Amino acid sequence: MIRRLVTGITFSLVAALPALAIEGAREVFPAPGPQAGRLVIHGATDLETMRPLILDFQQVATGVTVEFVDYVTNDLYRQAEKACAGEAESGDILLSSAVDQLVRLANDGCAQPHRSAETLTVADWANWRDEVFGFTFEPVVFVYDKRAVPVEDVPKSHEDLADLLRLKPTVYSGRIGTYDIEASGVGYLLAFYDARHAPTAYGRLIEGLSRIDTVTRCCNSEVLGEIASGRVRLAYNVLGSYAYRAASENPDLGIVVPNDYALVLSRGAMIPKDAEHPQIGKEFMNYLLSPRGREVARQKAFFFDDGKPLPPGVEGPEALMESGVGRPIRIGPALLAAQDESQRSSFIANWKHLVSGE
Amino acid sequence: MAHKGSLFSRLMWRMALLLGLGAAALITAAWFYARTAADEAYDRLLLGAAFQMSENLTVQDGVIKFDLPASAFELLGLADSDRIFYRVVTPDGKTLTGYNDLDTGVDLTAHQSQPVIGNSTYRGVDLRHVTVSRVLTQKSGVVWAHVIVAQTLESRRALAAELTTRATILVAIMCLLALAGSAIAVRYSLHPVDRLGRVLARREPQDLTPLDLDVPRELTPFVDSINRFITRLSERMTLMQRYIADSAHQIRTPLTALNAQVSLIDDEKLAPADRRHMERVRRRASELSRFTNQLLNHAMVIHRFDSVQLAPVKLNDVARKAFRAAVPMTVDPDLVVSFEASPEELMVTGDELSLREAIVNIIDNALRHGAKGRLDVKVGRDGDNGFVEVSDDGPGIPPEEWGNVVKRFYSSRSEDQVSGLGFAIAAEVALALNGRIGFREKTEERPFAIHIALPLIEGGQA
Repeated sequence: MIRRLVTGITFSLVAALPALAIEGAREVFPAPGPQAGRLVIHGATDLETMRPLILDFQQVATGVTVEFVDYVTNDLYRQAEKACAGEAESGDILLSSAVDQLVRLANDGCAQPHRSAETLTVADWANWRDEVFGFTFEPVVFVYDKRAVPVEDVPKSHEDLADLLRLKPTVYSGRIGTYDIEASGVGYLLAFYDARHAPTAYGRLIEGLSRIDTVTRCCNSEVLGEIASGRVRLAYNVLGSYAYRAASENPDLGIVVPNDYALVLSRGAMIPKDAEHPQIGKEFMNYLLSPRGREVARQKAFFFDDGKPLPPGVEGPEALMESGVGRPIRIGPALLAAQDESQRSSFIANWKHLVSGE
Repeated sequence: MAHKGSLFSRLMWRMALLLGLGAAALITAAWFYARTAADEAYDRLLLGAAFQMSENLTVQDGVIKFDLPASAFELLGLADSDRIFYRVVTPDGKTLTGYNDLDTGVDLTAHQSQPVIGNSTYRGVDLRHVTVSRVLTQKSGVVWAHVIVAQTLESRRALAAELTTRATILVAIMCLLALAGSAIAVRYSLHPVDRLGRVLARREPQDLTPLDLDVPRELTPFVDSINRFITRLSERMTLMQRYIADSAHQIRTPLTALNAQVSLIDDEKLAPADRRHMERVRRRASELSRFTNQLLNHAMVIHRFDSVQLAPVKLNDVARKAFRAAVPMTVDPDLVVSFEASPEELMVTGDELSLREAIVNIIDNALRHGAKGRLDVKVGRDGDNGFVEVSDDGPGIPPEEWGNVVKRFYSSRSEDQVSGLGFAIAAEVALALNGRIGFREKTEERPFAIHIALPLIEGGQA
């Protein structure tokens, strides 16, 4: 809810004062011990998700006061671009689910490399140039309303979902929700990768979605809210971590990790080149990548972890990565293709034309 | 003469220098090749990506469209640490997409049918860039669009560095092997020099025979020179010895006459003072004839070893003959002399005459300077050596003089008489027969003794 509000505010701010910094909610976590340093996190990640990690980090680094500034992905990117050009203040570490934007920033020379014992443990696909690191492991899932979707209708794969839309268009008309990929950076990224990984299934799925008056929302939380309220019965391309958090609060929500392929997003972290306290930023990066940080993330923030079984209550393949079902979105230069302006605009226009009928 | 170091180290230093220069040249070449190879490898990625991108330039309804293929970036992503910059330029010079300030310095108006590859700098980093031009057909006619793709050089540099490092390791190993191999080869080649040195060092001072040694061609002049020198020296020595022998011989005849004349003088008729002078003349004359004899004997012994073939000799017989020759019939009757032969027959390699002369000289010396009441000659065996030992009850020779008495004309300070050539002859004979002269100190229980020891012939004793 806060997020939606913030988004609204920032949008109007941007519209009114485009030259000003595009800043979201800001929260300061005072150092538990005598203050020895300050860490400014610019995050496009729910503050509530990050809170346990920040608090636990302060147990390790007791002297650090943490300031968390919350952005929407696209705003975070614009802010970082400005900071890189020296026109705005830079955070000490950037966290964003739209890793393509972080890769673009690194490619433009806005990042500083960081090597440590912790960064060496990062999987190959989640590290680019020692500048952008993926610190989470988040499968992209289907979420459905257990009250409204009968067991035989629950799709186990993208094909199942396309078939369901084809066979029962009237039942699910106006009842399927997904990201508005124009408003959400991560929504665009997921759709782009769907199109790349399974062009046929994606084509059929979009065709199906175009027939049933799909509900599109800016963000995960809103899509999940629509399911909770009973308006939407099934949501497609939801980040597993948000879905699991919502499901743990609302037992009516069911989560399926598709068994044909499941995109796996690793949220990106990057130290900007002009960071004011890069050393503390790196400390926090090390914490996020450390076993302790990963354990806290698995229990309290993101729930899924590479090499660990799926959390209880989630349907899906047992060994996600080993079975080849999990398709990590490799943090690397290929993401630059997703960031290309003409690509992006034509992809979004195409998508909108089909899904929203515009 | 300044010491110039060993031949081995001189050769090795030059070899190492040469190998070092060679290695430096090879490593430099390897570095150039590595850079070229890395450039070629990564240029293909760059070209491939640029071609893929240019393929996706299309004209739809008269408008140029571009669909950026992610696979092109995946291809470029194989250089996994490099940043990528690209720009798609429409025929009218506008940037369709990409980094619109990317300028590689390539003139886009000159339409290239071939891709242009080059280096440039963008945003402060060095880039390798490729420009691919593609012809498109529009209503207005044929137009050219361009795709510029550029990549940072990190992967190339890393690959070039890795290739160079590996080449360097190989070259270093090769150099070490070559150096070790040369060391062995040089050592082996220098063996004849070492051998020549050892042969020269081992030579006895008296040995004036030419060197008989197989040496490489390069050493032949040295050996020849040495041999010529030895031959000249040998000739000189022979002349000298002949001169001494001739002189001694020439002196002996008048000396014998002198002795005869002196013996004819009637002492009774002389005044007491004259008689004393006469006695001195007689003594000096006999001393002179002994020296002359020794000189002749010495020359004879040396001459014999130069010319006579050595043969097995019975030690007992030689010693007995020497004993008889050395102890005159007119020996002082108070002196007890004895000869004790060895119970077994001892055979040595030698020249009977020289050996007898050596033993005679030792006995003679003992009679003359040592023995007061007793002289014993004994032949015996000590391990692989046979020996002839002469002991007497005289004062003996103190140990510090042992080394000196074997020298020619050494004058012992304890006596006014000169020992002459006696021991020198004995020592030279012993040396020539691979034996030696030895002394035994006088103690309470045992008298002073001198022995000459010679190696026995293997299985030669009865």
